[in-house]
Amino acid sequence: MHYANTYLDKPVVGDLEEAATEGTEKVLHCMLNTGSDIYQGACKKRGSTLKEEYKNASGTCYMDPRDMAALGVKNWDTVLVKTDYGEVVVNAAKSRDAPHKGTVFICKGPWANTVVSHETYCCSDPTYKGVKCTVEKTDRKVLLMADLMRWVYKKYVDETDDDVVENMESLGELPVYKGRKWEDLK
Amino acid sequence: MSYEPPITDYDEIVENCTCAFCGCNCDDLDYLVKDGHVVAVRHACRLGASKIMEDMDQRLIVPMVRGANGELEEVDWDTALDTAAEYIAKSVRPVFYGWSETSTECMKEGIELGEYIGAVLDNQATICHGPSLQAVQNAGYPIQTLGEVKNRADMIVYSGSNAMNSHPRHMGRYSVFPRGYFRQRGRFDRTVVTMDPKFSDTAKMSDKWIGFEQNGDYGFYNAIRAVLKGKKLTQNVVSGIPAEDIYELVEEMKNAEFGVLFFGLGLTHTLSKQRNIDIAIKMVMDLNRFSKWGLTPMRGHFNVNGFNIFMAYETGFAFGVDFSRGYTRYMLGETNTIDLLVRKEPDCFLVIAADPGAHFPNGANQHLADIPVIQIDIHWGPSTELADVVLPGSFIGVECAGTSYRMDGVPIYMKKAIDKPETCRDDEWIVRELKERVMKLREEPNVAPKYVPNPAAE
Amino acid sequence: MEYILKNGIVYDPANEIKGEKKDVCFKDGKIVEDVSAAAKEIDVTDKIVMPAGVDTHAHVAGPKLVLGRLYRPEDSRRGVTQKTKNERGESGFSIPSCPTTGYRYSRMGYGTVCEAAMPPLEAKHTHEEICIIPNIDINPLTLFGNNWFILEMARENKIDEMAAFISAWLKITKGYGVKIVNPCGSEAWGWGMNVHGYDDKPPYFDVTSREVVRALAKANEKLGLPHSIHIHPNDLGHPGNTNTTIETLDSLKDIVKSNSKAASVRDQIVHCTHMQFHSYTGTNWRDAGSGAEEVAKFLNHNKHVTGDIGQVTLDETTTMTADAPMEYDLYQLSGLKWVNADIECETAAGIIPCIYSPKTPVSTLQWAIGLELFLLTKDPWQINLTTDHPNAGPFTRYPRIISWLMSAPKRISMIENGEVHNWAEKRTSLATLDREYDFYDIATITRASNARVHGFTDRGNLSVGSNADIAVYDLEPNNFDPSKDPEAVEKAFSRAKYTIKDGQIMVQDGEIVSTKPSQVLWTNVKGIEDQEKAVLDQVMPFFTQYYSVKWENYKVHDHFLSNPIRVDVEMEGK
Repeated sequence: MHYANTYLDKPVVGDLEEAATEGTEKVLHCMLNTGSDIYQGACKKRGSTLKEEYKNASGTCYMDPRDMAALGVKNWDTVLVKTDYGEVVVNAAKSRDAPHKGTVFICKGPWANTVVSHETYCCSDPTYKGVKCTVEKTDRKVLLMADLMRWVYKKYVDETDDDVVENMESLGELPVYKGRKWEDLK
Repeated sequence: MSYEPPITDYDEIVENCTCAFCGCNCDDLDYLVKDGHVVAVRHACRLGASKIMEDMDQRLIVPMVRGANGELEEVDWDTALDTAAEYIAKSVRPVFYGWSETSTECMKEGIELGEYIGAVLDNQATICHGPSLQAVQNAGYPIQTLGEVKNRADMIVYSGSNAMNSHPRHMGRYSVFPRGYFRQRGRFDRTVVTMDPKFSDTAKMSDKWIGFEQNGDYGFYNAIRAVLKGKKLTQNVVSGIPAEDIYELVEEMKNAEFGVLFFGLGLTHTLSKQRNIDIAIKMVMDLNRFSKWGLTPMRGHFNVNGFNIFMAYETGFAFGVDFSRGYTRYMLGETNTIDLLVRKEPDCFLVIAADPGAHFPNGANQHLADIPVIQIDIHWGPSTELADVVLPGSFIGVECAGTSYRMDGVPIYMKKAIDKPETCRDDEWIVRELKERVMKLREEPNVAPKYVPNPAAE
Repeated sequence: MEYILKNGIVYDPANEIKGEKKDVCFKDGKIVEDVSAAAKEIDVTDKIVMPAGVDTHAHVAGPKLVLGRLYRPEDSRRGVTQKTKNERGESGFSIPSCPTTGYRYSRMGYGTVCEAAMPPLEAKHTHEEICIIPNIDINPLTLFGNNWFILEMARENKIDEMAAFISAWLKITKGYGVKIVNPCGSEAWGWGMNVHGYDDKPPYFDVTSREVVRALAKANEKLGLPHSIHIHPNDLGHPGNTNTTIETLDSLKDIVKSNSKAASVRDQIVHCTHMQFHSYTGTNWRDAGSGAEEVAKFLNHNKHVTGDIGQVTLDETTTMTADAPMEYDLYQLSGLKWVNADIECETAAGIIPCIYSPKTPVSTLQWAIGLELFLLTKDPWQINLTTDHPNAGPFTRYPRIISWLMSAPKRISMIENGEVHNWAEKRTSLATLDREYDFYDIATITRASNARVHGFTDRGNLSVGSNADIAVYDLEPNNFDPSKDPEAVEKAFSRAKYTIKDGQIMVQDGEIVSTKPSQVLWTNVKGIEDQEKAVLDQVMPFFTQYYSVKWENYKVHDHFLSNPIRVDVEMEGK
């Protein structure tokens, strides 16, 4: 059967005007905002959260091109974002909303969750926006959702060492469970 | 992006279906159905279409329970429901979180279970417009339905909301572009202003972009209020905006015939939280001395407002309602999910039609790794990676009918278009089953032997 | 199941039973002449027995109630109680939660309540709440007074079309009757304005309030609905509004009442609600005074009008009305947190907390005017006891109002002891009125008249065949002087000895002993289906263009109806 297709491997981002150089800064001090955008929303609700699509929509740090140049990263390089609350490896990409030098944006999702503040200051809502962070270039890979959840929460692994869990065999882009497949049921 | 040819191979069109995505609840979708499957959808935005054209690879089909080795294993419904019911019945501080993507009919079952067992019932408002509700309780709530905006509004302000990304049809269907009774030329009869630190996609569609600085929202609204009250600004620049621009904006707002402020999480998620909304509401009230102004929070899920409305008529409180003592308690910052999880209070977590794995900060989610988590949902998502029991529900508005409330409070009965997968169950049925099983396992706690009136109500 | 209530003192004004010692029998939910020896006997010797209460006008279910609850947790907390085996936990004082509403009405011996304002677009919401309210039947009135289609039809004086429209919209919204709130005023509020007086027009609509009200009254009588038009006139709460009120009611006296079977139950052509809020003289709150005498005089001479009072109870409460511009005026006065909720093409609503303090002149004046209206209107069949819940006070204060009506010494002492501000004495005639209601009068203004006003025959009376909706109060009227002991009156009416609904005992000794789902009453006009179809075809292009929902998703689906009682009205098609 032919279904209308809504899958999109990567969000569309603008090209950088200058070729990437080595960069001038090792570590950038920025303000981190999180929130939704249309790509993240679309794959979240499609339910394709295990896939590359979601990783690229949600696990991406949208930056001002000047900040990218300073750090020496090009679109879809990886960066390490750190805050007082945690750290995470995400893609870097040129923001569609630039200019906003000094501010970076990560769509909401498991990646952003590791670095935002859980402080509600007695009003129920965590502080998802306006968190101070640092951004640096890294060689580490952006984890797929299932691998990231395993790395952050370790609910169902005995291993406690972050590095070991990060480098375990990937859980992949399809559900991992014991039993029949959806196809078998039809 | 590759070209996607239109779908022409379908059996029937089901008209006037309601989109189960954002708070716009667009009720004009047409589903193209073939062999009992929706193969395409018309009128929906990218978000709505992607939800309806779901990814079947990750569709939850069969109930699952986490085995001894930590792997989810498919089981029959009885086993899954019994396991879940046992977790709930054994708990002393259960939290039932979610509800914003299911029907009020399902919530009815949920509240019965919650009241019976003494749970906390909370929804996504707790991480999105909770501060807005708190501000409403401080300041008030001048709102209007979206049709009122369409027919009358000549000035639309989006603040801290990127409608083009999170409510893509909002501008097209309700606020900016449609031809209204008193706005026959549609877009040309309206002034659109976006207030956002970012030059967002919504700002790009606007006549005016007010790019106040990060965390500058409160100061900016304060300045507007001061000008509205006839005061002179003493600073040349407020929150990054030149004073003369503020004077000009205030003049425009005063001269609008009917203005509406739509605000989003840009205001609720920054440090000033409810105080941002508080002052935005007061600004709108001040504006009513000059012309007609209203506001509407841009609610994210199609029934997040519905849960707040539902809880208010059932219990008197909108969200974060704690039944653990046998009477209703509601205290912001105390009986809300994030605060409870950060304090590590809950010992059982039921998540229905929500995804804390994707949307809660790490600091809160860490506790979910320590306690049993029961998930009722339609897709395998980040929360499934933390779930001990997985109960596959059905898709409201596609596979199952139900009531939802739009962001402006208009109720819509979302009809069913196709049958659900054979092994799935309706959310309402699942929660009712859980309720009945829990009732068998445990006697109702905290029941007073006799009615004692509250002296304050005498 | 058969029951016999033995030896009660029965007050049944519909059957002119005035405190007779009588047995009341019921079987399978209905009152019967006699029961067999197997009947369960309930001894109520010398206690007051009345039909269960009928509330003519209250706001108990719907979108504005929810907004009130959402934004006033302080009110919800005031009424919180622990759950019991029979009851869910309660909450709220002026805006109780749905379950609480049902329990509290039941405890007072009430069986039926009119939800007085249902906006069509959000009617589903009202019905959802009605489903949750236990123990009482509810008849919701659909708002028509600012509906754009109605305004246009009134302008063109198309009464037949309007009648068909009302008939169709009652079916779509599952409404019971026609409610009018500040006609044309709530539309003007769409632009932040109001209309002033009965002959004013809203912007862009070339029609006056007078034309709208008269047209709706004619259409209502053309259909022969069980209830008359139910009007909240213009200028609510404004000093000097007495003229508008009387002008409005006077303008309808030439309208001929329908002779349909359904309409024959009632006497009136118009029901004027919360008259207290519409009976002020003066030009501002400094020189305001009482218009009660004038209004009561008008009632005494005009039998085409009934009214309810909207008695101020001197509490902190929450005002909520479709008269949104009035709520904005209140906000300007008090500065308290303000809610507004405009609904496209139909109506508006406003909410604001209100503190009616006996220490303040205006609240006291309002309190006294309400009581004056009760005491100066000669025929109790013309007035009903309400507080316009929650606007002038919560419905749980009805027993206190009853105690005020039954005791002149109580009223005088409140004035003389300075319990209320001296405006009560200075600006109203209350201190000079020594009329006291008896239990028969009380039964009239809380049951019999209320039922007749709404065109009910199956409730509000103890006739054979009627619903077994019965209240028993723990007072021995032959052995008790209510004038001397108002506290005992209040206590007894607050906690019924028995409340029986459809033959089921809901309350015993003031406590809920059982619950049952509510039923919703709605009016189904038969015989003008063709005209309805024609009018729908006519309005459809407009609807499609200017409403924000699809037609298919606009109507109240049967799914939302809580055990409906359909009231059929036969119309002769033309």
